Amino acid sequence: MPLIDMPDFSTDLLAEFAARRTERVNTPVIQPAEPFLDMAGEDLRRRIFLTESETGANLCLRPEFTIPVCLRHIETATGTPKRYSYLGEVFRQRREGSHEFYQAGIEDLGNKDIASSDARAIGDATGILKALLPGRKLALTLGDQAVFEAVVKALGLPFGWQRRLIHAFGDMAHLEALLERLARPQPVTGLDPQIAEMIASDNEADLVVHIDRTMQETGYSTNASRSPTEIARRLKEKLELAETRLDGTALLLLREFLTLQLPLAEAPAALAGFADAAGLKLGPAVSRFDARLAALANADADLSAMTYRAAFGRPLDYYTGLVFEVTEAGSSAVLAGGGRFDRLLTLLGAKEHIPAVGFSLWLDRIEAARASR
Amino acid sequence: MSTITIALPSKGRIKEDTAAVFERAGLAISAVGSDRSYRGRIEGMEGVEIAYLSASEIARELASGAVDFGVTGEDLVREGMAGADGRVEFCARLGFGQADVVVAVPEIWLDVETMADLGDVAADFRARHGRRLAIATKYWRLTQQFFSSQHGIQLYRIVESLGATEGAPAAGQADIIVDITSTGSTLRANHLKILSDGVILKSEACLVRARKPGHEQDPRIARIVEAVRAAL
Repeated sequence: MPLIDMPDFSTDLLAEFAARRTERVNTPVIQPAEPFLDMAGEDLRRRIFLTESETGANLCLRPEFTIPVCLRHIETATGTPKRYSYLGEVFRQRREGSHEFYQAGIEDLGNKDIASSDARAIGDATGILKALLPGRKLALTLGDQAVFEAVVKALGLPFGWQRRLIHAFGDMAHLEALLERLARPQPVTGLDPQIAEMIASDNEADLVVHIDRTMQETGYSTNASRSPTEIARRLKEKLELAETRLDGTALLLLREFLTLQLPLAEAPAALAGFADAAGLKLGPAVSRFDARLAALANADADLSAMTYRAAFGRPLDYYTGLVFEVTEAGSSAVLAGGGRFDRLLTLLGAKEHIPAVGFSLWLDRIEAARASR
Repeated sequence: MSTITIALPSKGRIKEDTAAVFERAGLAISAVGSDRSYRGRIEGMEGVEIAYLSASEIARELASGAVDFGVTGEDLVREGMAGADGRVEFCARLGFGQADVVVAVPEIWLDVETMADLGDVAADFRARHGRRLAIATKYWRLTQQFFSSQHGIQLYRIVESLGATEGAPAAGQADIIVDITSTGSTLRANHLKILSDGVILKSEACLVRARKPGHEQDPRIARIVEAVRAAL
């Protein structure tokens, strides 16, 4: 059923999707809200249109396509690899612009060749934008969560600190706060002396018994979500982490890494130089970064329009590697955004691990860009 | 001149305390009709109407601009509208109805004393328990702002709780709570503790003005604000 308010370039767009060998899928506009809130967090609640079914189930107007397309893939169990495309309306509460607008995109599920499927997603996004905006100069910014993870691991921080930093990647304010704590550790104070003693003497069993008994006495046991062992172990880990100090050099290195921003073609040399100077082994993450770049070069991508920014990431726990955004050169309006989300399908209930990469196109912004010529 | 409407709490201690402040301010309120009437006026002031409403309705009426002034808790105003400071002015803090909106966790979570601790637990929660950390609260907006904007914690779920929120962790409805407390005794009785940096808002009853065009030119607006401030 053709909708009369679809962007005038929709036919061209669908032809691009077909030429790029994707299977077009549609998903219902009314979606269960839980998967979106679970994956993206409660913050999303303010930005989506929520309603309730007669039976009290939370429903929302489709705020994006990735989760519905992935859920549909899991339900239909059609096997991988699969390349899906979509074009339809999404609904979000926004300060600027309309609350309902069209989005289109490609989700590439189950392709085991990470480098070439990353390159293909970038190639598809930029290729389609070039076709829709002929003669315009585009700019692509690329980030890679895996490289940041490798840097953090190579610095030799305790696992708990690695986890904290990786979790904050993409949220610069949060990351800065963590670096501040690493520079100036604050020992934990005010701990019950009896408990401090059990931890000092590494007596986990007694601590667990103590916590368990208190839970029983306070009537908390029946529905306790966190077990006595979990609490005891994290308490011990917390005390250790509180004393971790990252020395000045390492802290400078981490900050230096986060300020890296340079033409993508120069990134491998810069990362190698950084690793050498810092004496860090970045291993497979950097070779995967290089392999992706080689795949892009192989596919004749315009590398001169691509920038690597080391701090660019999305602070959501299902993003795992590549993230990218495409704008018109000199503009801040994101026309296409994408990335790799290898963890999403298992989080949504897929039985096996399904690597995934994709992007979406902001059709209202593309329309505005076409009109601004 | 248009009528100025002041929405005041319709019952309880907060109603009496508000009446006392207005009395001291020289703005004695008399009921229109019987004592049980929900309308009133200020003696000696023309064109000013008192509407008695429930505290949460007052916040809503301020948000929509249906009333000019309201007396209600800061927590309800900030929870009830986005960008509260741009839409209303907190003219005076009235010194009663004090209560804090706080983040409280089970006392036995010996490893959780700060929001940063809670951030660690939330980040790990799904991997350990197969679901996100659940927070029972009626304060959706305040919780989101505090957790995401101030502490970078995104991964949690809110479970709506309209009463007896302190019981939610023990009942297994949620892991932690965000709720209002004045003395902390209900929290303690339910074996919950407030995080050291877990005070989201120190609330009290306030005289709140809806920012409406025309207020600047109206001398009655300034007079009401001045009189209440002078009475504190």
